[in-house]
Order: sequence, then C-alpha cells, then structure tokens
Amino acid sequence: MATEIGVWIAALLTLAIYSFLYKDNPLYKVAENIFVGVSAGYWAVVLWYNYAWPNLFEPLVAQGNLINLIPIIVGLMMFAPLIPKISWLIRIPLTFTMGVAMALVILQRIQGEIFPQLQATFLPLSGVSLVEVISNFLIIFGVVSTLVYFYFSKAHKGVLGVFAKLGIWFMMVAFGASFGYTVMARISLLIGRIYFLLHNWLRLI
Amino acid sequence: MNILDRISSIDRRIIFLLVALAVIIPLLIPLGLPVDVSKPVRDVYDMVDSLPERAIVVVSCDYDPGSEAELTPATVAILEHCFRKNLRVYLMGLWPPGPELGNLALEAVAPKYERVYGVDYINIGYRPGGPVMLVSLGRDVADLVRADYAGVPIDSFPLGRAVKSARDIDLVVTLSAGDPGVLHWIIYFSARYGTRIAAATTAIMAPQQYPYLSSGQLVGLLGGLKGAAEYETLVETTGRATAGMDSQSIVHLLLVIFIIMGNIILLYEKRRR
Amino acid sequence: MKQTLPLIIVFAFGFFVIIAFFIPLGAFQSASQTFETWYTGVLAFFVFIGIFNIVKVNANKIQRRLSDWQYSIILLLFLILMMGAGFIGGPEGGLFNYLFEHMQIPLGATMFSLLAFFVASAAFRAFRARTPEATLLLIAAVIVMIGRVPIGYYIWRGFPGVVEWIMNVPNTAAKRGILFGADLGLISMALRVLLGIERSYMGRGGE
Repeated sequence: MATEIGVWIAALLTLAIYSFLYKDNPLYKVAENIFVGVSAGYWAVVLWYNYAWPNLFEPLVAQGNLINLIPIIVGLMMFAPLIPKISWLIRIPLTFTMGVAMALVILQRIQGEIFPQLQATFLPLSGVSLVEVISNFLIIFGVVSTLVYFYFSKAHKGVLGVFAKLGIWFMMVAFGASFGYTVMARISLLIGRIYFLLHNWLRLI
Repeated sequence: MNILDRISSIDRRIIFLLVALAVIIPLLIPLGLPVDVSKPVRDVYDMVDSLPERAIVVVSCDYDPGSEAELTPATVAILEHCFRKNLRVYLMGLWPPGPELGNLALEAVAPKYERVYGVDYINIGYRPGGPVMLVSLGRDVADLVRADYAGVPIDSFPLGRAVKSARDIDLVVTLSAGDPGVLHWIIYFSARYGTRIAAATTAIMAPQQYPYLSSGQLVGLLGGLKGAAEYETLVETTGRATAGMDSQSIVHLLLVIFIIMGNIILLYEKRRR
Repeated sequence: MKQTLPLIIVFAFGFFVIIAFFIPLGAFQSASQTFETWYTGVLAFFVFIGIFNIVKVNANKIQRRLSDWQYSIILLLFLILMMGAGFIGGPEGGLFNYLFEHMQIPLGATMFSLLAFFVASAAFRAFRARTPEATLLLIAAVIVMIGRVPIGYYIWRGFPGVVEWIMNVPNTAAKRGILFGADLGLISMALRVLLGIERSYMGRGGE
C-alpha cells in the first residue's frame, strides 16, 4: 500500500465519490462539495493570473496604459445586477463579448471549416481503384443526402424524400459510431481511476 | 415471474458491480490481448519518426483532469517517441490544467532519456487567448512568451531562444478534450502558417475529427485510450493505456451482452402483448 | 439608451473585427488584436461573477440554515483554502499544486468516470431497437464497440478494418453534412446577433 498522504487523500476521495453508486450518502456529498470548492478556487486563481492580470490590470498598473480602464470597467459591469437601478449595464459586457465572439465564429467557420471541407468533398470518381470509387461516391452521396435532410423549406416527398431518408441512414451509422466511441471514453475514464486505486494506492499491480 | 422478467427488473447496483468486476479482474489477471494499430495512429507515428534530429515539436496539452485518464497516456507515449528520436519538445496548453498535467508526463519520461530542461524540452505553461494567442504565437513568439511555466525568463533557455515563430516549429501535437483545441490549432495556426498538426483526442471527440483527417487538415489521430495503447505498441512500451485494454475489451463485451439482453427482453415483451 | 447602446456595441465591435481581418493595414490589425485581448480579459469576469454567486448562495444557505447547509461550510472552506494557496503562494506554489494534484485531479476524473456505470445501466434498460433506424444505430455502435478494442481484433482480424471503413466513409459523410449545416446555421445566427435581430442573450427587456 502507498505511504504518501497525497495518494491516500486521492484514494479516499475517489472511494467517497464511488459510494454514490450504492446510494446517496454524506461521504459522497462531502467529496462533491470539496470538488466544487477546490475547482472554483482553482479557476479564480488561474483566471486572475492568466487572463485578468496580464491582459487588463498589469498594463494599467505597471505600464500606465489608461486605455485599459475601459475593459476593466466593462468587466466590472458584470456585477451590475447586484444594484437593481443599474442592472441593465450587464448588457455592455454581454454585447461586447458576443460581438467579438460572433465575428470570430464567422471568420473561423468559413475559412477553417466550410472551404476546406467543401474542397475535401470533391473526390475522384475515376482513375482510382474500384473500392475507392465506391467509397468516394458514398461520401459525396452521404454529404448531399445529409444536407438534404436538413432542408425543411420543402416537404420531404418524392425524390427529396428518398434523399432525406438516405441521409437519415447515414446519420444513424455516424451516431452509432459516435455512441460506440462515447461508451469507450466513459469506460476509459473508469479504467483510469481503478488503475490508480490498484497501482498507486494498493500497489497490487 | 419467469427468468426474463427477473432479469429485466434486476437492481442496477448488480449491473454496476458487474462493470466494476469486468474492469478490476483483467487488471489483476491480464489477458494479453494483442493491440492492432490503425492507420490514423500510424500516420502520427510515421510523421514524428520522419522528423530530423533536434526538430522542434510543440506538444499542446489542451485538456483537464476529467480527460486525464485518456490523454495523459497518449502524452507519455508521444514524449517517449520524441525523446527517443532526440527531438526537442515545446510543451504548452490552451487549457489551464493542461501544462500541469503535461508536466507530470514530462517528469515521468524526461529523466529516462537524460533530457535536460531548457535544452531538450521546455514548458511554457498555459497560454490563454485562443485564436488571438495562436496567431501571435505563430507570427512572433517573443511577443507572447516572456517566461516559462515557472516564471523564469524564456531567453535564459537555449530552446526558449530557438523558437521565434511558426517557421521554427516542425510539428504540433495537440492533446485535446474540447474547445479550444484541435479546431483552433487547425484554423489559426496550421491554415495561416502551414504547420502540420497531429491530434490525440478523447474518444468522444474522435469521430468528429475524421472529416479533418480526410481533408488533410490533420496528419493523423489518436482516438481515446485505444489510440494511446496503439501508440505505446508502436513505440514498444507498455504503459497505462495498454494495461487498460484488456479491461476495455471485457467491459465492451459485457455492454454488448447487456444491449442484446435488453433487446431480447423487448422482443419477449412485444410477443407477450 | 438601455437598448440602443448595447446594439451599437455588438454591431461596432463585431463588424470591426470582421473588416479588420480583410484589411492588412497595421492600425486596423492592431486595434482588432487589442479588442480581442480585451475580450479574453473580460471573459474572466464571467467566471468571477459565477464564483461570487457560488459564495453568495452558499453563505445564504449557511445563514438561513437551509437543507444540507453543513456541506456549504465545507465548500466555502475549500474554496478559501484553494484561493488562499493560489493568491498567497502563487499559481506555482507548493500548496496550490498539491491540492490540484491530490484533490482536483482525482475528484474531477472520478466524477466523470461515474458515467461509465450509468452507461452500462442504460445499455441494459434503454438501448432498444424499436425502429429500423434505431436498429441501424445499434448495429453500428456494436460493431464499433467490439471492433475498436483488442478483443475485436482477436475474434476476427478484419474487424478493425470494417470499423475504419465505417469511420472514414459513412461517419465522415454524415459528420461533414452536419458540419456544413451547423456552420451555416451558426453563421446566420452570428449575423443576426451582430445586426441586432437576435437579442435573447441580452436577457429580459432585450427585445
């Protein structure tokens, strides 16, 4: 068994969380609240030292950049709802961040996703092996039929309906694959914790 | 009440116990099932293997403790490969806990190969700012990186002085659990500066990366713990990922049995009506 | 003023960042980068207000002796401990890193790993092939679940190849189609926000 206190703390907290599987109990609640407290404290420290101080306060305090007062005041407006008379001021930081974020989304999605992915969909249907031709055709067909499914301006009848139906089949295969991977991910996390308990704590493996 | 009725009303804690046993027993008594290697993982390996000695690889730890079980083994395997090939590692992260988790991997691997901090590897810590930061990093590192993870001036290290812009970086390997992560590196770094990007992601994110693999925006992909186990196989080490594969296999088999049993019960209930 | 000023802000900053992307002049690029730097700084306040709320809600619980108020004491104690360790010793400080390594990492990882048990329970009770589409989904899931682990390779060498084909062809096709649809939707939503048509994010009185 491990002798380091840190390993024991981690192991006991792990077991406290797992005790929830039997039923909800005070040990689990204690561990859960420790987690929330430690995480909130962690994020406060990290965000101050990595976001707020170097980007906003340090240029003002250390370099005298008065213009940095603007984002600091905008950020402090997040606390405006505490005073009902000026609670509407929270819209300023909300709209500022939404404006910049939406602009970045537009630039990011067009340049980084739509164009390269569109280019990648133009696949060769000749001059390659038969297996590749079939696979390429299925990819092109799959992309088109999935997009057709999301076209709701016309009723999914006739040819459109057939394409939409095939789009659903492609999506079901993709969702099934995603589900398989999701299960894999969750099990991997469990394996990681059990490995810690058996290897680092109990030293059985 | 017949057997199917009994099974369908089973207490879920029995299911939990079966899952726990399916994980614990293979860890205690390994089955030694062989790990096959898929093309996306082999592509990452071949990419790293093709780099000349002393090439610089950015290892970006873009994950948190919730994904540690899947991505730390991948970090360790990639670091093993880099140090064995005498490549230089520039570790950083787009998520706050990332570089600290990456540091744990560095501390485990670097001494094995007698690698020296500041010469063979460096940790520049968490870099906030997502898109803006990545664009600045590629254009002029000095603009952004003044000190390493521990606050020591970056210019006091040979590796710190060697990385001035994206031109000095031969490969970026991002270990990504979400946003910011793979997509940011692809759009704001690779698309702008042409640097090649390889990714190790959680298994949940892996299916979404295939369009980027297919378009060539990613050179390769390690998906989840299995991806890490495949990389361990390629670098001929046996780490946490390989150790967990037997358990992964048995639990998956158990879950498939549960799904089949559940659907048998469904058919039985339909027939009974 | 309460409605107009926010709409002017979202329009001005948003379109400035977009236009600056296409104009290579130094002043535009510099201003755009400044706004983006301010953006990351202001984002921190979103989390600060969240933490402030956690403290306020739990302090209120303790003061009024509401249900499970004792756990709120534990929460606030560890919040103060972690913040104290970080602000006094710095983010590279010994105690801060100790708490991170021996409490936050194991607690975070364990919380997420709980889901494995509930996925297993759901696999038994809820994953039923009631329709042809659900059947196809489950078949694909089962093939991936078995084919992606060593036991699949052990059962049949061709299994991983089948999984790779599923991931490279139908999965890529559908994910790409969804990506196009989602991106076009996101871009149209972003334009609606920038033009002030979509205001629900501003809260009550945003219309």
